[in-house]
Amino acid sequence: MERLVAILVPDLTVETPDGATLRRSLELLDALGVLCPFTEIVRLGLYALPARAPRRVFGGESAVLEALAATVRETVGLEARIGVADGLFAAEAAAHAGRVVAPGGSDDFRRALPLTALGRADLTATAHRLGVRTVGAFADLAPGRVAERFSRAVGVVHRVARGELGELPGQRDASLARRLARLREVDRPDEQRGFFGQRAAGEARARAAALALRRRLGPEGVVVAAVVGGRTPEDRGSLRPWDAPPPPRDPGAPWPGQLRPPTPVTVLGRPAPIELRDGEGGSLEVRRGLLSAAPATIVTGGITRRVVWHAGPWPSVERWWVAPRRRAHVQLVLEGGEALLVRVESGRWWLVGVYD
Amino acid sequence: MFASSPRPRLPEALAAAVRPVALAQTRTFSLVEPWNDLIPGGSLRRGGTVAVVAPPGSGGLSLSLGLLSAASAESHWAAVVGVDDPGVVAIADLGLDLRRTLFVPRPGGAWAEATADLLEGVDLVLVRPPTRVSTRSARALGDRVRERGAAMIVLGAPRTPWPSPTDLSLEVVASRWHAGSRLEGRTLRVRITGRGGVRPVEREVTLPDRRGRAAAS
Repeated sequence: MERLVAILVPDLTVETPDGATLRRSLELLDALGVLCPFTEIVRLGLYALPARAPRRVFGGESAVLEALAATVRETVGLEARIGVADGLFAAEAAAHAGRVVAPGGSDDFRRALPLTALGRADLTATAHRLGVRTVGAFADLAPGRVAERFSRAVGVVHRVARGELGELPGQRDASLARRLARLREVDRPDEQRGFFGQRAAGEARARAAALALRRRLGPEGVVVAAVVGGRTPEDRGSLRPWDAPPPPRDPGAPWPGQLRPPTPVTVLGRPAPIELRDGEGGSLEVRRGLLSAAPATIVTGGITRRVVWHAGPWPSVERWWVAPRRRAHVQLVLEGGEALLVRVESGRWWLVGVYD
Repeated sequence: MFASSPRPRLPEALAAAVRPVALAQTRTFSLVEPWNDLIPGGSLRRGGTVAVVAPPGSGGLSLSLGLLSAASAESHWAAVVGVDDPGVVAIADLGLDLRRTLFVPRPGGAWAEATADLLEGVDLVLVRPPTRVSTRSARALGDRVRERGAAMIVLGAPRTPWPSPTDLSLEVVASRWHAGSRLEGRTLRVRITGRGGVRPVEREVTLPDRRGRAAAS
């Protein structure tokens, strides 16, 4: 489950009739998006972003949190409560407590939460009678027993309690993304318009199917994609749960040093560690923009394959937030004819994608 | 006696001329160059299932996605099931409209149910089953595709064929990269087999080309 930073701004949770809250929420989303392009607004007053991305650069999580709090103060003049934990449910609870849960500590943290944190009055009342008072005690009930006693919706909540799902149903305001997009459209009327007539019917059907699927597979089961700004395929492809707000990075902005197409049609959400070796079996490095030797073999998941062709490295040094991030990409063709995109960063090699 | 006498048949050319054009169009999803060269009839039939067969990494995913591109660009909704790590940029380069494409990357054992859900709402579905496909679910999905007038592309490896007959099968039989100072493009050799014992034909297509698109070879 992804480690998330949750930012809770209590003064932005209540909507005002004049639309001021909505407008300020959008402003803050854009400002946070500059710090981390993966920032999303979960619902009014609650923002989330992956903890891994900016941490490396700010030199530790506490520096990230300070930068985020400062951004909230400077943009909307309000105080934020910030928390870090795995999955949106635990991250929001951590924000309420103003707590940074240590990596690996999310399970214990989640289990210690009072049952009311799950936000279901029906569940709390019945569970109390069973002597169940914490999320952990509820998680320990067998799923079959939960299915017997509670509604199907509670079954999903149970999976959240067990740490199988990251977020609660209803934790996210599904319509907010659309409303903010509309607000953006009012500001920038040239952007893409909604659908009309036949297209509207098509969209309504697709939405209904997506909703059905989300009920079946959970909040992260259905995903939509967008091309955003960036230099590398892994940066430029944005995947987010269906109905989450669109990413703010502008794909049209100039990104010097962008890797040219073709681009791998499979791009690993989590790059896999690999080893790239020369003919003598030595590890390869990139020095001053050049490979130390020609790659002869690649080892992925314990399997060694022969490399028959390579190109690159294409280095990219980025002012990624504050500190520079040095990466280089290399294209490989293997003996079997498959082509791969790999990347080296701080001396370690990763499989980025496959040209399937 | 009258009932059994055969109705006079219209000559083929005349029949084609009087067939309502609009109807013919709504019965298919359009394809553009070079895809219309790969598919007999030049378009994807509504209600039809197409199998794409390719060893992993040999271009089967690009081929499957490419088949959806023209209809997606024409505002049809599409869904991609079981492609766990979609390369978003490449998919956009191939011509899919991401604003109308749903991804279900990791449906696990529920992939067939997920596909059935999607067929209620989208016109085009690409499925790469993450688990073994039973004949029963393959048939059920084929029926659903027919009922909905959708089109389904099923992607599998040669060792794991789709266990129910499809209208068409496209098999990648050879895949060759062209490379200079970087990857410039790939030529796929595709064996096309239709239903009804028609002799398979082989065609070549450049996929991707140096702009990440498909091109005639």
